[in-house]
Order: sequence, then C-alpha cells, then structure tokens
Amino acid sequence: MSFLLPKLTSKKEIDEVIKNVAEKVLVLRFGKDDDSVCLQLDEILAKTTHDLRNMASIYLVDVDRVQIYARYFDISYIPSTVFFFNGQHMKVDYGSPDHTKFVGSFKTKQDFMDLIEVIYRGAMRGKLIVQSPIDSKNIPKYDLLYHGI
Amino acid sequence: MAVFHCAVCRQTTFAGKKHIYSKSHQAKLKVVLVKFLEKVKEARRALRAPRVEKLDATEHRRTFWCYCCGLEVQRHVTDGKLAVLCAGLLEHMATLDHKKNTNKFWWDNKADPKLKGKFLVTAEEIERFKSAVSKALDAFEEEEDTLLKEQADIIRAQEQHRQEVLQSLLEPEPETASSGSGQQEAPEAGPSVTLGPASGSSSCLRALGSMEEAEPCWMDPLEQSHWPEPETSLTFIGYQDSSIYGNIHTGAIPPWLLDDPQEGSSSGTVQEIGPSHQEFLKHKEKEKLKKLPANRVGANFDHTSQTDANWLPSFGRVWNSGRRWQSRNQFREEEGQAGRKAKKRRVWSKLGQKPQKPPQ
Repeated sequence: MSFLLPKLTSKKEIDEVIKNVAEKVLVLRFGKDDDSVCLQLDEILAKTTHDLRNMASIYLVDVDRVQIYARYFDISYIPSTVFFFNGQHMKVDYGSPDHTKFVGSFKTKQDFMDLIEVIYRGAMRGKLIVQSPIDSKNIPKYDLLYHGI
Repeated sequence: MAVFHCAVCRQTTFAGKKHIYSKSHQAKLKVVLVKFLEKVKEARRALRAPRVEKLDATEHRRTFWCYCCGLEVQRHVTDGKLAVLCAGLLEHMATLDHKKNTNKFWWDNKADPKLKGKFLVTAEEIERFKSAVSKALDAFEEEEDTLLKEQADIIRAQEQHRQEVLQSLLEPEPETASSGSGQQEAPEAGPSVTLGPASGSSSCLRALGSMEEAEPCWMDPLEQSHWPEPETSLTFIGYQDSSIYGNIHTGAIPPWLLDDPQEGSSSGTVQEIGPSHQEFLKHKEKEKLKKLPANRVGANFDHTSQTDANWLPSFGRVWNSGRRWQSRNQFREEEGQAGRKAKKRRVWSKLGQKPQKPPQ
C-alpha cells in the first residue's frame, strides 16, 4: 500500500515539502516499508488520502535514508507520524508521554480522519497544541526512554 | 363695579384713575410715546421736503397704529404707481378727530403736555404739505421722462452700430462665396448690396474664411470683429490642417481607433491588455488566502524562502529544555558533540584500541 503514497528520500526533499505545503496539514510518516505496523498505518493513510485531500498532504519517509531528521525528531519507535502546518510543528496530546509525534498505527480510518480534522481546526485558530479526539484505549502504548540512561 | 382697562399698561385695573400716577404706568407711557414720536419725526421731515417714489408693494402699503385714536392708519399715500412717503400719517394727524383723541389721551394718561404739540399737525401745515407734494410729483415725472429718453437713445445707437457692421460684411462676402469651394452657404442678403464697409472687419473676415471652414454665422463675425487684438502671452503652435486626416464633420475614424503608428516599428507582438492567465490564477489563490483566519498557525510563514542545507524546521523536540526555537540550537550542539565523538572513535579504531564507552 505504501506504493500509493509519495516518498521522500533526502533531507532536501523533506525541507521542500515542509516549506511548500500551504494551508494544509502535512503528515510525515517515519518508518520502514516492510515493518508490519508500518504496513497497517500505510494502509490507513493510503485509503484516507483522497478524503482528506483538502485538509492534509501525506508523505512517507524512510528512517534509514534520512538519519538527521530521525535524530532531530527523536524518533525511537517506528512508525512515528509528525504533523506540520505552514512550516510549524503541531503537537497533539494523545494521553501518551510524547506529544510531538504519533507513535504506532491507528485502529480505524475514522480515528485518523478525526485527528487530522482536530489538528486542522486547531491550526486555523492559531493553536500549536491540540487535544486528540481518539479514545485512549485505541492509542498504542510505549515507554519513552531517555537514551542517556 | 366698572371695569377699567388701561390700554397703555394692557391691564385691567379696578382702581380707576389712581394707577395712572403710578411709576409703571408712566414708564410704559414714556416708551409708547417715544416709539410714536420717531414715526412722527420722520413724517415732519417729509412735510418739509416731500419725496415721491415708485411704488414698492412690500414697503409702501404699511400701516401704523395711532395710539391716540386706537386705529390703524395707512402710512403712505399711493395711487398704484407712485407713493408719497408718510403722507398718510400727516393727513391723519391733521384730522379733527385725531385732535380730539389726542387731547383725551393726554388728559387720561396724564402725559407730558409739552409733547402733545408735536403729535398734532395744523391745517396750515397740511396745506403747505399738499402743494409741496404736487410740486414733487411733477418733478418726479420729469425725471422719469428724461431717464426714458436717455435709454431710448442708447438703444438706438446700438441698433445703428449693428446695422453698420452688418452692412459692411455684406460687401466682402460675395467675393469669398465665389472663390470658395461651395462649403459655405450663400449669404442671405444678396451680393448686390453695397454699403460702406468697416475696413477692419472685412480683413478679419477674409482671414476667417480661409482658415476655418465653418459656415458663416451672422452672430460670430459680429462678435469677432469686436475681438481685441490678441495678446502675445499665449503660445502659437500653428494652424492645424486637418484636410488629410479629416475631422468629425467629414466622418473620419477617430484617432483612438486607428492603429498606433509606432507599433509596427518597435515589435510585432500583439500587446494584450490586462493580466495573463497565470496572474489571474495567482490572484484567485490570493483571494482564497485572504479569507482564511489571520491568526492561524504559520500565517506569516514565507513559503518561497530559500533555505540552505542546514535548515531545520521549527520542531519542539522531546528531550530539549527551553523554548521551541532553541531546540534547533540544542540539536546542532548535540550534533557537534556527536561528530566529535565519532571522530574520536575513528581515531581509536585506527590505533587499534577499543573505545571506552560503547555508543548507545
């Protein structure tokens, strides 16, 4: 399913995408194409691309190819999904320890669409951090470990 | 009990005659008499030198109130066209009734007897006045006549002058009519009229006939011959010869519909007026942008800015401490340290030693 979505392979491409997507939510999925959870997430992303075409643009990034952003965004679990709006990073409170990205896959397509809509509305009103509408039991659990430990 | 109404105070007093001696009554009486006296003075002036004027309906039909008689009397005497000023007032004051009423008024109100004399006009005075009036009337009529005669003279002189000029124009016109190409209509008075022309006006006309192709208007030459010599403050740019291009009367195409004569020399491209299609689309996008809320995230983000290879987006990292925009600096520092550590490891491996701490 990931072949249906556009892929970004270099830092330059990612920079361009971040700068050029205007007035829409930019969804960057960091992961590997053959990982099982990534495949689930990619399926949801591909199926909702058309419905969300006016609100969001979705891109896939391979973490092995672009190491610098994997470090900058502190990606330790894959898949991780980062949201941008007009070049600004959008934080979402899912009830999980990390608000800067969404770790794991979504349970249903509707969850993802709701999340995108909430992010879009919050961004239009000038909010940099929004509350996730997804039920907490549908959010994957993980432990956030500081790498210095 | 008889109700006694005092006209001067405009009050009804039951006291009878007592209040007349009161201060307020006397004061009011004084005011009344002063007002009346002014009118009377004017009339006396007119008595000595009566004036006759043309009737002015608004002014000359005024009436005044005679306090003594309790009547309204016509101020001036008119007969429809002329008016003798203040004659009505004087005539009224000469009547016997007025005399009696004045006496009564004085006795009732206990006014100053010295003033009484002024308010009465004797019979002799009125006779004198009447004769003076008749004389004034005659004089007035004479004046009117002279004025009329003067005006008539002026009008006659103007008419004469006009006729002269008219006749002077008739002479050179037959000449230009025969030489012209039929663009002028035939003059009304036939060319057979020969009169002494004014030389200045004929030369004027010849100049007009050659330069302008307008039809002869009887008024225009008259006015133009009275035109003073043109002053030199205006810049003369030459006579405009429109016989090549034509003008509105010949039905030529107006210049703004003709092709630009400089167009072909510069370039052969057709210039379109207005924005191109691309610009129009951009304009549409801009219109849409305007409708978005102004306080949205990244509203002032410059999408077209050129950034270098080291640019990092605004990302609030997970383990940074401090503001969001400082996370970039922190990351760069960390990268710098990591770079140095990597160098160290490479050096150690070259030397064949194991590194001290394994990187996590």
